[in-house]
Amino acid sequence: MSEIMQILISGIIQGVIYALIAYGYNLTFSTSKTINFSLGNVIMLGGVVGFSLYVDRATGQLLGYPYLFPIVGVLVTGVIAGWMVHRFAVAPALKMKSEYTWVLATLAMGIIFKNAVEQIWSTGDYRFPSPLGDDPIRILGAGVYPQEIMAVIVATVIVFSIELFRRKTIYGKAIQAVSEDKDTASLMGIPQEQVVKVSFMMSACIATIGGLMVAPWTFVSATMGSSLGTKAYVVAIIAGLESGFGLIWGGLILGISEFFTARYISSGYKELPGFIILILVILIKPSGLFGKKSIKKV
Amino acid sequence: MRFPKLALMILAVVLASCTKKSEDTIKVGVYGPFTGGSAPMGVSMRNGVQVAIDEINAAGGVLGKKISMVDRDDEAKNERGGQIMLELLDKEKVVAVLGPINTGVADASTQYANTKKVPLIINVSAGAKVNELFKANPENFVFRIAANDDIQSRVIVNEALKLGFKKPALLCDDTNYGQNGREKMEAVLKEKGVKPVYIGKFKIKDSDMSAQLQEARAAKADVLLVYGIGPELAAVSNSMARLGWKVDMIGSWTLSMSNYITNAGKNGNGTKMPQTFIEASAKSDKQKKFISDYNIKFKESPIASAVSAAQGYDSMYLLKLAIEQAQSLEGSKIRTALEDLAVPYEGITGSYTKPFSSTDHEAVKEANVMLGMVKDGIVVDSTTQKK
Repeated sequence: MSEIMQILISGIIQGVIYALIAYGYNLTFSTSKTINFSLGNVIMLGGVVGFSLYVDRATGQLLGYPYLFPIVGVLVTGVIAGWMVHRFAVAPALKMKSEYTWVLATLAMGIIFKNAVEQIWSTGDYRFPSPLGDDPIRILGAGVYPQEIMAVIVATVIVFSIELFRRKTIYGKAIQAVSEDKDTASLMGIPQEQVVKVSFMMSACIATIGGLMVAPWTFVSATMGSSLGTKAYVVAIIAGLESGFGLIWGGLILGISEFFTARYISSGYKELPGFIILILVILIKPSGLFGKKSIKKV
Repeated sequence: MRFPKLALMILAVVLASCTKKSEDTIKVGVYGPFTGGSAPMGVSMRNGVQVAIDEINAAGGVLGKKISMVDRDDEAKNERGGQIMLELLDKEKVVAVLGPINTGVADASTQYANTKKVPLIINVSAGAKVNELFKANPENFVFRIAANDDIQSRVIVNEALKLGFKKPALLCDDTNYGQNGREKMEAVLKEKGVKPVYIGKFKIKDSDMSAQLQEARAAKADVLLVYGIGPELAAVSNSMARLGWKVDMIGSWTLSMSNYITNAGKNGNGTKMPQTFIEASAKSDKQKKFISDYNIKFKESPIASAVSAAQGYDSMYLLKLAIEQAQSLEGSKIRTALEDLAVPYEGITGSYTKPFSSTDHEAVKEANVMLGMVKDGIVVDSTTQKK
């Protein structure tokens, strides 16, 4: 019993984190129809900046600042990173009217982020002590770290508030309008460039906060975000890039399936079900399990 | 035409300076992972070699020449290993090579030592093939000064059985290193008539091992035998704390890496591993001097991977003794000298009298290996300490 509980809890935590990052993909896709492939490395930026503002790298001891300090730090990092990705990778690519230049351009930004961190910071793995302590809590016999509970709460709050923002506020409706039809939105007086730029900043902030949340259990390193970024992308495709709340279900499907496979089939096949589901979804319902049907007229 | 003349002159000067440089120094190649999860081992090894080179140069060098190190970062990537070996041997024309660390890197690059007839002293990699190479190359240029996987797995299994455990679970990473170790541990267990109740694996960068550990616990394992490197082994210890499962953990020597000890924190206490050198229990004057020299030079205490540093230092001295005995920088002559070292060598990891022979290129034997234990952030000798 406690075993299934442990798998479920671990899977849910992992899944919600995937969903959070998948939201980052969703935000920029809905406004600009591009996917920010540097998001994995933006997650890493969050971890690294948060770590530098909170922990002394040489000794592993806390610097003594309140946890608010790294939170503000990673938000600023997110805004800057999102601006950079938009300004130097996506905007020029969109201007060129070339269909897929942004794929390479965003990938390149990610590599630049990673190499910069390796050069300036370090390539080692460091431990990020959780502000909530390192002792697991027992829930029905399953162990959970307080940090993981916090991560789930933070992720859920972010996802819900963005959905509310998109559905209820005038700015959210502007984003919605741009995602439906850019040119008409422009004609209606919505500054679509601005909307796209803000969506990149928001998406990068989500990723850096995600990085700060997962850092205590993934360790902080220049490569900490790559696997998370890929998995979140899988979630976005499974659930549908434009599916909103569906992304949470997608995250849970992937997270829980991973842990059940690792436990009952083989830890070597942990990643297999996610990718099998991915391929099945692409074959059967390309718009994603929870995505709306999109018709592209040519 | 002025330009070609100028270009020729520059070329001549460059060439002249090149040949001049290679004449008055002896180049020794060093490669290992200086970045990534294995970096504590690679950097400590390189620093250990540097301490030895500085000492040798201060004492007048070898054959009247100074030694210089040519170091390359293989990033723990198998394919980089081969490229670096070719570069060191063909372009840099090194006299001998020291390194590498990762088993996969070693397997992908050791062949060049034999094809180019330049000695390679493996100073950390436990899984690399050394004596096995004799079959294909009767003139084998690959030597090792590190406890190999055969010895390590024997020490690990013996300790587990000595403590009275009967149901071991094996948990190893899925690299060449981890899987080689798993194979060797299984073989030793089979020899002793013990069957592991669970065999699992994990990937580099995995951070939650609870699924594997749950399965091991469900199989009623009473001891966990692990093989991997620092960060992931720390994740194993942390996941054990998450499950609240308390069994002894014994594993590869890499449990002494700084990134295991700091990342596992208090969850790492009591973990045991084979070691050729334990910084905290250094006894001889030579060991104490090495530690203090290292600390002064690299401002690091404790050493991130003391075993790698010590083996790096010793490998450089064995090479120096061989070059002096051979009175030559020719690869074949150095190899012959290494196989028949006349002077005994008192090193950091032990004393060696004729460490190598023409049929055995493994310097470290089971008797050189101690059992270390993690205790409050450092590695201590487990025989003198209670858990």
